[in-house]
This record gives sequence, C-alpha cells and structure tokens, in this order.
Amino acid sequence: MGYSAARGGLDAILAAEELMRAKRDGGSSPALGIDQLTERLNLAVDRVMGEAGLWAPQFAALALRQAEGDIIEAAHLLRAYRSTRMRLAEPVTVHADELEILRRIVPAYRVPPGPQLLGRTLDYVGRLLEVADARSGPRPADPPALAGPEPSAPPPEAPELPELPELPKLPAASAAATAQTVRHPGRLLDLLRSQGMIRDRRRPDDPEPHDVTRDPVRPGVPRSARLSVMARAETGALVNLWYRNVLGPDGYIHEVTLGEVRHGRLPVRVVHPVTLQPVCLGAVRVTEVEAIEDLDGADEERGLFDVGYGLCLGHNERKAIAMANLDIAVERDGGRSSLEQSVLMTTDGLDASGFLEHLKLPHYVTFRSMVDRKAAIRAAARQRAAQAADQASEASEAGQTSAAGTAAAVNR
Amino acid sequence: MTVSALAASAPAEEFGHLDEQSKREIRCALLAAVAVPGYQVPFASREMPVARGWGSGGLQVTLAVIGPQDTIKVIDQGDDAGVNAANLRRLIVSSTGAADTTDARQASIIQTRHRIPEDPLGPDQALVLQVPVPEPLRGVERDMRELRRMHAEADYSAIWVSLYEDLVHNGVITQSTGYPVLVDGRYVMATTPIPRWDVPKLDQAEFLSLFGAGREKRVYAVPPHTSVEPLAFEDVAFQVERTQGASCLLCGAVDAYLVEVPARAGWICSDTDWCQRRRPSENGEDGDHKAVDA
Repeated sequence: MGYSAARGGLDAILAAEELMRAKRDGGSSPALGIDQLTERLNLAVDRVMGEAGLWAPQFAALALRQAEGDIIEAAHLLRAYRSTRMRLAEPVTVHADELEILRRIVPAYRVPPGPQLLGRTLDYVGRLLEVADARSGPRPADPPALAGPEPSAPPPEAPELPELPELPKLPAASAAATAQTVRHPGRLLDLLRSQGMIRDRRRPDDPEPHDVTRDPVRPGVPRSARLSVMARAETGALVNLWYRNVLGPDGYIHEVTLGEVRHGRLPVRVVHPVTLQPVCLGAVRVTEVEAIEDLDGADEERGLFDVGYGLCLGHNERKAIAMANLDIAVERDGGRSSLEQSVLMTTDGLDASGFLEHLKLPHYVTFRSMVDRKAAIRAAARQRAAQAADQASEASEAGQTSAAGTAAAVNR
Repeated sequence: MTVSALAASAPAEEFGHLDEQSKREIRCALLAAVAVPGYQVPFASREMPVARGWGSGGLQVTLAVIGPQDTIKVIDQGDDAGVNAANLRRLIVSSTGAADTTDARQASIIQTRHRIPEDPLGPDQALVLQVPVPEPLRGVERDMRELRRMHAEADYSAIWVSLYEDLVHNGVITQSTGYPVLVDGRYVMATTPIPRWDVPKLDQAEFLSLFGAGREKRVYAVPPHTSVEPLAFEDVAFQVERTQGASCLLCGAVDAYLVEVPARAGWICSDTDWCQRRRPSENGEDGDHKAVDA
C-alpha cells in the first residue's frame, strides 16, 4: 500500500485486526468446529440466516464463529458475501401449504383441524440454569464427548425429523398418506375461509414477490415487499416495534389470536435451464405464522376476521409472530400513521446498527462547523442585546419610544 | 453442467468486489443521476464489507466506476490516514489493483467523507462523496410519501420557511454542515455533511460529483458545469466557516478549512496532504513521502 502519509491509519487497523484474531483464534480451549455451531447453537445460526436473508447453515455458522457470536455482525458477513456472488437462478414460488411441519400449534382452537404438534420448543422447559450439569457434564476440552452423539432426549409428542443436511432430499412424493396429513395439515384459515369468516384480500396486482434486494422499498410498496423486509429484519427490531405499538406512545396494535405457528421445511425449486421444468434443489427450514385479527374498527367489516402473515428463515417464532402482527397492523392502518414507514425503513439490523456505530467515526469536520454556528448564534445574540440596550438608552434620553427592531443582520 | 459446476465457474474474487450485474446496475443508476442533477435515484444498494453508515454507498459508487487504470485517493475528514479511509482504500486497491495516491491532483477518483480537497479539481477527476442522509428535507418533513411529492412538485416552501424561522429566532442561519443547495435550478439537494466551506466548490465545477448513500439506497450527482446554489436570502449572505485570526499551525494557511486543536490552542488544516505540501521544507528528509511504494 501506497504512501507514508496514509500509513498511520493502515498500521492501526492492521494492529486492531491482529488483536481480534489473536484472542478469537488463540486461547487454551479447542477451536470451535462449524458442526458444533450448527448442531448446538442452531437457534443462533438460524437467526443469522433469517436476518441475513440467506439460507446457508454452514456459512452462517462460519460467520457466527468469525463474529465471535455477534449475530448482527454475522448476518452482515453473510450478506456481504452474497453481494459478491452472481445470482444464478430465481426460485419458483412455492405455496406455503407445501411446508412439511416439524412443529405446529394452533392457539385459537383446543382441537383444531390437524395436529397440535409441540415438536422442539423451549416454551415449557423450566428456565432453570443447569449449573450442576455444566460442572459434571462434558467439558469442551473433552474430545470424545465432542465426537460422540448427544444423549438423546425423550421423544417429543411427534418424533422429530432428523436435522437437515445442507441440501437434503425431500421425502418421495409417494409418502404414506397418513404421514402426508400429519406433516402437511390443513390450515385453520381454510376452515375460517370456508365459513366465510375471513375478509378476502386476494388481489391481482402483486403477483410476483417484490425483490427488496433489487428494488429498494419505500412507503406504498406492495405487501410482498413489506413481508420481505420483515423476513430479513432484525428480530429485536420487530419485537420492539410490535411492543412499542402495544404499550408505547404512538399507535395501537391489539393482540391477535394466532391461527398457526409452524416450523418446518419448504422445498426450493428453480426452473432447469435445459428442460425448463421446475427442479427441486433442496429445502429450507422456515417459521410461519398466521395471526387472526379481530376487525373491530368502526369502519371495518365487524363480522369478519382478517389475517396477518409472518414467515422467516430458520426457527424463530418470536420474529414470525411479530411480523404477522405488524403485517396486519400496517394493512389496517391503511397509511393513516407512520407505521408502514417504520416497518419498511427502520427494522433492518444492518442499517440500524451500522448507522448507530458510525457515530464512532471521526466527526471533527462537522463538529468544527457546529462550533462555528454556536459562535455565530452567540455573536448575533450579543449584537441584538447591544442594539436593544442602545435603543433603550436612546429612548430614555430622547424621551420617546421606538419600536423594537427585528433581527439584525449579522456582520462577522 | 451441474449447479455446483456452474457456481464454481464464477471467479472466486470479482474485480471490484461486486459481481458485474451489481456494478452495471449501480452505473445505470448513476447515469440517471447525472442526467437529472440533484435528483435522488433509488438503487439496489448491496451489503458491502463495510457497515452501513461507514461509506458503503460511496464504496459501491467507486467500485462501479473504477477501472484498473484509475488512481484513487480516499479521505475521511480530509485525512488520508484516517482509519476508515485506510480501510476503504485497502478494499478498493486490493479488489481492483488501481493505484492509490494521497495527492488530490494525481487522483482520477477521490472518495471522500465530509470534505472536498483544497486543491482545485479538474475535468478528468470524479469526486465520490459518502452520504449518510441524502434527504435534504427530512428536517422539515418525516413522511416519505410527502417528501416524494415535495420533490416532484418542487414544493420547497417548507425548507424556505424553516430557514427564515431559523434566521428570525437565532439571528443567523444555524445549519452547520450538509447545507441544502438548489441544483440546476430544480432539485434541492443535501450536500452530505461537507462543511459550508466546501459548498461553493460544487457550483459550476469542472469535475463530476457522485453521491452514494448506501444505507438509504440512493445515489445522486452534480455533473460538471452545473449551478449549485446554497439556499439563502437575497439580503442575508450564505456564510462559510471562518474564525477571525485562525491559521494553520503547520503550514500557516488562512484560506483553508481549519479544524481546532484545543490542546495547542490553535488550528490545523483538515486537508492533510494539501497541508503537508505547503509546509516549509524543514521536513526535507521526509521529502520522498509521495513516492509510490509499489
């Protein structure tokens, strides 16, 4: 690299980088394997993929390791990597009914159509820090324990499907019909629709999902853009925006009833370049939520329900629920408040955290300019005070009143 | 051919980091920006190896327009050695093989945060400005739908009123950096946070200015020989930063953008390379500092 005049900054950043590497890659414990992250910190890996908007478990784990567990930083690494890759194909739109469920709950009914399948969840595991286990259990330094299989937990209500390799084969189409029903149950929404209880919001003018990575969003974009933005949004940002509108000073979202909370696998298909037929490349795991909304506004169809939709990559129910609730809230708001702009413009983790952290950059050029204005404001105030005093003394001397002057032009 | 074979055939490292499709797309947006001076053109901002807010927009613009024959200068606050400038320069040089320089006169592309170099720039030079906030009217209107209407109809009454109220309340216009300007008599544009000192350099400039806002996904431009007028009243002149009696402790400059050094109760130039060239040759042993290492 170039010139000695620019050398100081470069030396400093190289040294900082070295400090990062030394601590992360050094240390006394064994190096962290990628499979350890994908197997044992899978929720963190899922969250990175969800916020990056890219299904790539191995790369997400790599990013998480490189970022020392910082989720947003890892999502950034993944998105920045994808920026360098040519887009080879566009996937064919799949219907969410193809979701092969690993978990499904329907809070709206005790006995819904299809199963209540608890699957893997922390919801009912006591929040008890397993201190004793940590002391007696396998330590990270124990190589055999690392290589060996996890002690198997008692089977959940339905047998858990094995975790996916990166490009898994979907079950053959000829899978037993019973398994088909269990893994692809109907939706509560279908039931409500058949009863005529759901507002019909199908529309012809948003047929293809709006690609938010190619077409920047602004208020007024189709619903698919809003859903895409939220699918990539930072989990905490969506949760906060939702909660802010429940309890905060602006807006009001009331609590929806969840019709579906699903975690499962969706096939990914692209059109084969030669046969021009859709071909399945594998599957992604997603969390899907349908939020049934009670239309209770004076100008709304009070006899009907409406529905909000949430779907994100990986297992992240918090995010999908917030998303579904915000989706229907924006719909009902109809542009009356700034909610749509908040959803579209303020929930991306990379945007918000990058801009926040840029405050650490030097700002002495702008600060000097601010100091200049402060001095100018003070000088103007002094000048005005002096003028006022002059006028007052003139007035008392001459025994006459004078109109108060307007702001005097400053001459510095 | 399998998908993985297809993927493997792509180069491991693209020239200029971004893939060619992305660079074309950014160039298309830039062409639109040059064609409509001061208008904010939406573009599909990519995620870069630097964070949003850290020059990701400027970096995308630079990488979209740079070629291997270019010579790049990168400054932050006017300083080539600023740590973020060093990082951006490293990314640009390592992914393009372009030459780098600290001498504004030798650079074909200058990527900058918050400053325009003191050296006058010529017609064969492009200035790439990193933009944190591209919307000049945000201080007077928050709703993006309304902002769009205001620009479309050239309805700039709200910002004029705000400047007037500012003047009445404070006796001066208090906008410090990023002073709003009217470009080509049509669009009000944010001048990034460059100081007011640099704003006149944009008017009827010899050089092309490209503005990149990565986080907000907008680019805009001021082509050469375009009028750029700061919003000001006929009877209240636009003021640049100036402190009576201030001069650079290092080079003695009075007529440059100076930043304060409180520890030494004085001022120094923010444009470090320009300042260094002006200093008396007592640092003669350092005189080869502009020689290219590579």
